[in-house]
Amino acid sequence: MSFAAPIALTLAALAVPIIGLYILKVRLRRVPVSTNLFWKQVYDEKPPRSLWQNLRHWLSLLAQLLLLGLLVLAIADPFFAWQAARARRMVLIVDASASMQASDVEPTRFAEAIAEAHRIIDGVRDHDQVAILTAGVVPKVITGMANHAPTLRRAIDSISATDAPSSIDAAVTLGKQLVGDHPNAHVIVISDGAEAAPPDVDWRVVGTAAANLGITELQARRSFVDPVGYEVLVEVLNASEEPARGRLELELDGIIIDVLPLKLDAGETWSRTIEKTSLEGGQLTAKLTELEQTDSLAIDNKAAAIVPTRELQQVLIVSPGNLFLQKVFEANPLVRVTLTNTIPEVWPADTIVVFHQSVPETMPERDFLVIDPDADCDLWTIGDMIENPIVTEQDEESPLMTYIRLDNVLVPQAREIAFEGDAHPLAATVSGEPIYASLDRPAGKGLVLSVNLEQSDLAFRTAFPIMITNALAWFADQSGEWEPAIASGGIASITAAGGEKRTLVSPSGERTPITGDRAGPLAEVGVWTIEGEDSQSTIAVNLASPTESDLRPIAPSDLEQSTSIAGLWFTRPVWFYCAALAALLFAVEWFLYQRRLIG
Amino acid sequence: MSKRVFRGTLLAQRRTTQMGSGIEFSDHREYTPGDDLRYLDWNIYARHGDLLLKRFQEEQDLHVYLLLDCSPSMVMGDPAKFDLARHLTAALAYIALADLDRIAVLAYADGIVEEFPVTRGKARILALMRFLESLSPSGEDTHLSRAVQGLVHRGARSGLAVVISDLFDPNGFQPGLDLLRSRRFDAHVLQLHAPQEADPKLLGDAELIDVETDSVRMVTVTEKHLRSYKKLFQAHQQSVRDYCANYGLGCTQSPSTVPFDQLVMSMMRTSATGE
Repeated sequence: MSFAAPIALTLAALAVPIIGLYILKVRLRRVPVSTNLFWKQVYDEKPPRSLWQNLRHWLSLLAQLLLLGLLVLAIADPFFAWQAARARRMVLIVDASASMQASDVEPTRFAEAIAEAHRIIDGVRDHDQVAILTAGVVPKVITGMANHAPTLRRAIDSISATDAPSSIDAAVTLGKQLVGDHPNAHVIVISDGAEAAPPDVDWRVVGTAAANLGITELQARRSFVDPVGYEVLVEVLNASEEPARGRLELELDGIIIDVLPLKLDAGETWSRTIEKTSLEGGQLTAKLTELEQTDSLAIDNKAAAIVPTRELQQVLIVSPGNLFLQKVFEANPLVRVTLTNTIPEVWPADTIVVFHQSVPETMPERDFLVIDPDADCDLWTIGDMIENPIVTEQDEESPLMTYIRLDNVLVPQAREIAFEGDAHPLAATVSGEPIYASLDRPAGKGLVLSVNLEQSDLAFRTAFPIMITNALAWFADQSGEWEPAIASGGIASITAAGGEKRTLVSPSGERTPITGDRAGPLAEVGVWTIEGEDSQSTIAVNLASPTESDLRPIAPSDLEQSTSIAGLWFTRPVWFYCAALAALLFAVEWFLYQRRLIG
Repeated sequence: MSKRVFRGTLLAQRRTTQMGSGIEFSDHREYTPGDDLRYLDWNIYARHGDLLLKRFQEEQDLHVYLLLDCSPSMVMGDPAKFDLARHLTAALAYIALADLDRIAVLAYADGIVEEFPVTRGKARILALMRFLESLSPSGEDTHLSRAVQGLVHRGARSGLAVVISDLFDPNGFQPGLDLLRSRRFDAHVLQLHAPQEADPKLLGDAELIDVETDSVRMVTVTEKHLRSYKKLFQAHQQSVRDYCANYGLGCTQSPSTVPFDQLVMSMMRTSATGE
């Protein structure tokens, strides 16, 4: 036997004063009494001091010395060589993914996993080293290698389930790195299953093959063609062996906009695209209600998406007069049109200026659209007329050309334009002359269309209103692309003015400053907020994971189940048993003392 | 205090059964030749022609014996039982002397250790007090019957015998009182005890030393033992009360903390009401 603190053995010298004091204590109190008559009768049935009572003093001294010995031993912290040889190095991985919130076991799979973790800690022996990891969005080390059971228990109790998918494989890899090549290494995973069980891992599976109906996708985007329209993509998975029925309710800012009955076969994925209109946009929420079967996971019964708000645009048309041009802007409900036939001296603020057959010498520091320019300006020089140009080149990638085909548009005349700066041709003739080009200046965006509307049939084509709608969206920085709701655990890309301080606010109110142009991982389902100094935007985060919504775990037989790692009966350090024995001895002596006095 | 009427030798304030030259009329008897004609009731002779002689009750003195326990157990208590016993002895003696009775004090332990002989007259009270002051606890243990035997052997006339003691008599208090009764003494028991004797504050290991016998008893006192002790003590007190009640003896029990004057008043009231 060795001692961790052999210096503590010197405390055994306390036995000397104990013995000394005890010798003094053995001498009984001498109490004079008037008569022993009554005391004699009291002790008639029992001798006043039995053999036990006569020996009791010596036994009591022995007990006190034993008590001191045990306490000194406990402080000296003895240990056996075989204890060090049997010491294990364990990593305990607790799955903190969203599916662990399933309530198919009382109260939840996660609570059961925590209880299992505590049971494992119960079996930790002296000299064992245990690290605790969680497998949430990313593996996280809760506590490094430690042997102190209360510390380990506190670490376990500090773990909380996330709304994100699990990262079991990465956690196991990290766990194996932590245990290294220790001869008694154990990696224990407490989870509700994994797609592929990593080898050499002790699995503790929690949960049952529970049925669940969950929303695995919800996305919303503005319509490309309808300025106030938006489209919703929703997907529902029936992760069970039985058919499922229920309702899908769609709400926009708390107002129900649609209710869809659901009837899904076992294992079926139901998907639907829904078109709606809203100028203001807002928070779109999808909820599964009126479910007629067991649903073990609540977190995927609700999903959110953000429908962007459409802003009104002011348009000033400077034109000698063209009804088609006027009407194509007025037909857009997001546009407020002002007409003039002369070039104003002062340009109104926040206004898109449309020049038709008139061009100022210096283009205003505003967004502008020039149609059929008839003069030079600071940005270009007008060249010769192009007769019967044929559009052969289109920038298919540009959002300005979405849904537009100009190759079959009849264009009798167009003007040749030589741009002073960089211009991006959107449509060009076979000879490479741009007839539709975009200019991106710091002072404002610009579009130049060199087609004569009166001579061309462009105004009669459906491409024309689409072209104008695309142009307005481009001026408003409305991409028209997906603004996807992010799957929980994902990273959000953030665009904002450089240097602006921004704060990420979780659905539960936790605030995190944002550094850089990325935020996350967003491991909580709900609507996150990005607060800037002058702006605020929202990000919808949904579980959106068929894997997490499918609660049917891998059967235990499919996983390599290890034997119990419980530490049998001798799991605690020797000092603990010494201290426990001392406490027991103390309690016995105290009990006997009280019993002697109180009878 | 005396419940009975004793025959005295000297005229005093206590009526006796002896007929004599007192002034208290008692009854009549037939005249026989030789009787003193001064006591002939002429009124009856005049009315009825009967010769009846008037008889008068003679008032004589009472012998009061104060048996004071001087055993070592009387030193216990705060104040000591012995101090209270001496105060009571002096008080009772003074009352008796003031009534022209005769008193004698017998200090006893395992026998009579000191004696203040029969005396009479209030003037003797100072001598009595000096005697009481000179007393100190002595003897080996309490033996009341031996003390009473000593009293009897001295040929004492019957009278009132007041036993002032804690009655912690290893031989029992009954033989002594029985002897007093058989000798036609009117006995009164004045039993004193210290508060710690009734309710000892004692727990744990201890050596109990009997102050009378010096016997040592090593005990471990528990709450249970204390309860038994108190029960036995109360039983002893009750046995004294029962004995006195059965044989018509006066009985006063008191802790030593009660002032002696209060105790004497209580005794007098009790005797007056005959309780």
